[in-house]
Amino acid sequence: MLSTTPRLALSRQLKNFRRFATATTTPAEQPVKDKSDTRKNVLEYRQIYPEFLPDPKIEFRNPIREKLERSDMIARRANVDIPEFYVGSVLAVTSADRHSPGKLHRFVGICIKREGCGLRANFLLRNVIDHQGVEILYDMYDPTIKGIEVLRLEKRLDNELLYLRDALPEYSTFDSNMEIEILPEGAPVPVNEIKVKLKPRPWLDRWERKNLKGVQDLELPQRFYDRAKELETPWEKYDLMKQYMRTVPEEEQVEIFSEVQTHLHRSGAAQKLKRKRTFVKPTKLA
Amino acid sequence: MALALTTTFTKSTVKFLEERLLLLTISCGPVRNKSKQNPKPRLRNPTWFTQKHRVSSDDNVTLENKEFLKEVVQDRYFNVDNEISKDLASNVIWRPGLQRTGVMARKIGIYPMWLKTGKKISTTLLQVLDNHVIKYYPPEDYDPQVKRVGRIYNRKGCLLLGAEGADPSTFTREYCGLFKDSGVIPKRHLARFFVSPDAVLPAGTLISALHFQAGNYVDVRGLTIDRGFQGVMKRHGFKGMPASHGVTKTHRRGGNIGGGGEKGRVWPGTKMPGHMGNRYRILRGLKIWRINTKYNVLFVSGQNIPGATNSIVYIYDTKLPARKPAEPLPFPTYIGTGEELSENIFDKEIHEFSEPTIVYSDKN
Repeated sequence: MLSTTPRLALSRQLKNFRRFATATTTPAEQPVKDKSDTRKNVLEYRQIYPEFLPDPKIEFRNPIREKLERSDMIARRANVDIPEFYVGSVLAVTSADRHSPGKLHRFVGICIKREGCGLRANFLLRNVIDHQGVEILYDMYDPTIKGIEVLRLEKRLDNELLYLRDALPEYSTFDSNMEIEILPEGAPVPVNEIKVKLKPRPWLDRWERKNLKGVQDLELPQRFYDRAKELETPWEKYDLMKQYMRTVPEEEQVEIFSEVQTHLHRSGAAQKLKRKRTFVKPTKLA
Repeated sequence: MALALTTTFTKSTVKFLEERLLLLTISCGPVRNKSKQNPKPRLRNPTWFTQKHRVSSDDNVTLENKEFLKEVVQDRYFNVDNEISKDLASNVIWRPGLQRTGVMARKIGIYPMWLKTGKKISTTLLQVLDNHVIKYYPPEDYDPQVKRVGRIYNRKGCLLLGAEGADPSTFTREYCGLFKDSGVIPKRHLARFFVSPDAVLPAGTLISALHFQAGNYVDVRGLTIDRGFQGVMKRHGFKGMPASHGVTKTHRRGGNIGGGGEKGRVWPGTKMPGHMGNRYRILRGLKIWRINTKYNVLFVSGQNIPGATNSIVYIYDTKLPARKPAEPLPFPTYIGTGEELSENIFDKEIHEFSEPTIVYSDKN
């Protein structure tokens, strides 16, 4: 119940963004310098392009380094389309591989983790192939990546799906020939509220302590929940200083995104166009 | 009469004895203090070690006067054209025996780059600051703190460089005086670099990132992060001891520090807990993968360059014999030829981010 309100707000924002994006056909017409527009867009951009925000750790920050990093990211984005996706989306990544026949490798999987900022941004894809769980960690700005396709654009209830490693394999099995599922025009990114069934212990992590929303009842003895209750830190969400140190101030975000807005806008509009053109009814597989 | 005689005799003998004694003291003195004839050298700081920062006091300067002071600084340091770099060009061509000056730089962060083969490397970004030559000490004038014994071949001069110009009113008068001859604005950081007498630069010369070339190797010196008093696991990478299986009170301890018998003592150099960091360290043989000419940034291989992000490091041409450059370096420093340079200069192995995606073919 805590998460529903921000998520609703977010979907509303994204809807606004889509309207905004489709209303303007050419990016040249868009008054880029408009400050209020930028401020409005920042809220959406930081969801879609989180890696453009620097590491908030103050001892690692340097404006010139960040500027160079952003320009390199934009330069790479001119050569490959890095689409909007979230943890829980199903992606297909085609990358150059010296050892595979045809020198290309395509991997389909669910994004279970996304982290890093700047050129270090990466995402972790998971799939079960021949009853064997397979995970590949991709660098988003790796020049060997030929293309990233979003087969199913959706979000999950958690920010990390690492518990899929301990879940039944059907939750992380995806057909490698899966077709792109098209969202209707202007729709918000859907949230898949599926509850995953975990295998019985032993696990890779103490999932009962992670405050997960996307799992079914863990079926543990009461003492596990008691211990989890002891260790939880519910006061942290009220610690304003901690929150401040963990985030980049909004003024800076506006500055950063207004710098890269033209480029992002162009690629975002292209993405929308592509989505509009190829409307195919999704077919059921496997 | 006899009495008078005796008194004079005693007087003269006393005098004589005194003189003898005095002589004795004089003659004995040096012999006794022979062990103290070479006293411990007095700490002599270099001449540019002066009180740097002024005690900030509220001088009741009015707003107009503050403006005026700013104007003075502007007129003094910025509205004059220092046409020094004209006589920079020398007809000496660099050869491996010649030592060029180094530069001061700021370590601004780390990020990955990719080679044309698709291999990921991590690079450290070093922003070369506004290095200006402040003073030159010829080899015969420079008086080093620690003198070398024996004959010195190939003597080096000493070039004093300053970096990061700042408001002169924050510095003492004495410190500002150091910069008087060179005509540059007082700098926050000073450093000395040994150079061959052929590589001397006139005072006031600016040294840019293009002093170095992409593809060449450098040595980087910096002050490591101060970690305080640390145990052996962090300081020397010891393994520690098991967490359980009956181990008590000795999980992160070093264990034995020596044997018995004839070697029954702690040997010098034994790795033990102690202060870690806050020392100058040099990392040698780092490749320059890329140079950004707009912001004067060198992209240097490695992510273990001593010092924290935003700290000052010193860059030199490498001393490693196998990594000396094959082609002559810009000597004594890079002089702009007037033609427009591209913003980024890459090593030929680097995949530029603006290049198309890497594709492997059967050939490579």
